[in-house]
Amino acid sequence: MTERGRHNGEAILSARGIVNRFGRQHVHDDIDLEVGRGEILGIAGGSGSGKTVLLKTLTGLHRPDRGTVLIAGKPVEELGHAERASLIGVLFQQGALFSSLSVAQNVMLPLREHTELKPDEQERIAAMKLQLAGLTADTGIKVPAQLSGGMVKRAALARALALDPRILFLDEPTSDLDPLTASGIDALVKQLNEALGITVVIVTHDLTTLFTVCHRVALLVDHKIVIDTVEKLMHSRNPWIHDFLHGPRAQGAMEARKEARTESHGNR
Amino acid sequence: MKRASAGASAATLTLHGEGDRLALEGALETQTLAEATRALGQWLHERATGGHRRALDLKALSGLDTPGALFLCELREKGVELTGASAEHKALLDFIGGLELKPLLKVPVTPRWREIVIKLGKGADEAAHETYAVIAFLGRAASEIARAFAHPSRLRLPSISRHIAETGISALPIVGLMAVMISIVIAYQGVVQLRPYGGEDFTINLVAVSVLREMGVLITAIIVAGRSGSAFAAEIGVMKAREEIDALRVMGLEPMEMLVVPRLIALIITLPLLTFFSDIMGLAGGAVITQFLLDVSPLQYVARVHTAVDWKDLFVGIVKAPVFAVVIGIIGCMHGLRVHGSAESVGRETTRAVVKAIFLVIVMDAFFSILFEKLGL
Repeated sequence: MTERGRHNGEAILSARGIVNRFGRQHVHDDIDLEVGRGEILGIAGGSGSGKTVLLKTLTGLHRPDRGTVLIAGKPVEELGHAERASLIGVLFQQGALFSSLSVAQNVMLPLREHTELKPDEQERIAAMKLQLAGLTADTGIKVPAQLSGGMVKRAALARALALDPRILFLDEPTSDLDPLTASGIDALVKQLNEALGITVVIVTHDLTTLFTVCHRVALLVDHKIVIDTVEKLMHSRNPWIHDFLHGPRAQGAMEARKEARTESHGNR
Repeated sequence: MKRASAGASAATLTLHGEGDRLALEGALETQTLAEATRALGQWLHERATGGHRRALDLKALSGLDTPGALFLCELREKGVELTGASAEHKALLDFIGGLELKPLLKVPVTPRWREIVIKLGKGADEAAHETYAVIAFLGRAASEIARAFAHPSRLRLPSISRHIAETGISALPIVGLMAVMISIVIAYQGVVQLRPYGGEDFTINLVAVSVLREMGVLITAIIVAGRSGSAFAAEIGVMKAREEIDALRVMGLEPMEMLVVPRLIALIITLPLLTFFSDIMGLAGGAVITQFLLDVSPLQYVARVHTAVDWKDLFVGIVKAPVFAVVIGIIGCMHGLRVHGSAESVGRETTRAVVKAIFLVIVMDAFFSILFEKLGL
């Protein structure tokens, strides 16, 4: 894990008293959440526990019934267009790449709209972002329909990074991917966090991602949220959390965590 | 990474010093990059020649993002020495510098005239393939229908009745309304054109003949192509996109028999009935509007219609309906089955189905006009 960023004081993203209801059904009941600068926070929970709604609330796409979300100290709904674009980047679950544009054009779209850079500079930056996301420059002329699942995620990540946002939101970045590609995405997220100091919020089901990439984990349980490091959550008395982190799949993820730890210590 | 401020517009960058040594102060970020490129580009250009040892001091740089780092890396490659970078910025520079950077590939540009020729050729080729595909699909559908009638257990009556309700009964209001509107249009034009010759009474003949022979069936077919042709394409298309068609095949069920045959049969049954309904509504609309324009009572109107048209005119209109039904049904189902992959494809095929169905209906109608004229009907 990186020394940089983690808990260096100020919170870049904070949500206070979030309440979300759909009809009579409570999804979130008074949720508080703080994400520090440079931190990687994982958000997990059972199906239908409101992970995606929480992500939409944090990014300002969904207005909560009560509560506020502050990004860099400013309420999310008061952010201007360009300001929002330079603060947050979102990787949607299906990529949400614009199908009528090529991959490079997808990455260049925010650059074109929000900056005064010349086209050739935009292209250079787009090529660099694609490389950052682990794609080669020749992927740029392809259209999204020609990409494989893993490449779609990487291209969408390159687009999310287009304006060097300070917070990156990832919605299920490893879903529908084979284990090898999924580990590649995990490593990429970690690398971007370390190299660029970017704050990352990951919504995921993937225990390996939670165990190996995230600094802290937020679990949505009974419409509330429990945030802590994986170690402490492992000893939670809540039966759901216990089962979630001790299930058969958790064993493998824990192994991966140990391995990742020793590896990163060996490197230093 | 620190930034001068959260607001994108607030980031500033200034350039100090002169000669071979310059210093950057402020934030070198996406927002200030255009400015930096302009200022430093000139400096580089001026000092490109001779043994200048150019250096750029980054001590006072408060913010640096990846495009900024990319720009500095490019400067470094051009021989500019970067000095005084903070550890954080140095790490970022090394990271970006370590990427294997290649320019984006360009899409090859074809000249305009060649593009037109290529499009023309492709269009002609496609048209030939399309014609073949429609005929082949028609053949397959016909053989499936024949097989269904040979084994009546394969005739899916519940499915047929559902499609009759959807394509027929729920279309009644719109078809009736359109028929009334069309006869109002014809009656108005007829009265205006025929009045100078004192023949405005013939407006009734005009309305009756054109509604029964042409307008009733044509309007009905166009509305049904828009309503049901598109629905067929979209329903089957969504099933295709979600692999439901493949699921049917794997279970040993023939999509043609399950999906296409009931829709076709239903449409062949409903379109003539709808046409008849549309004829009646058109004549009724004519009765109302001529009473208003010509003071003809409904009874007089009926007597007049009786002399103006006979069963032959009604037959000429309605006999076209099953043919149009086949055209609409075949085109709709065929384009539905052509969907592959994404939701975008469903929209495209649905549009194509409607356009092609309406086009073919009108072409067939012209063909029938000539045919009936030659036959003396």
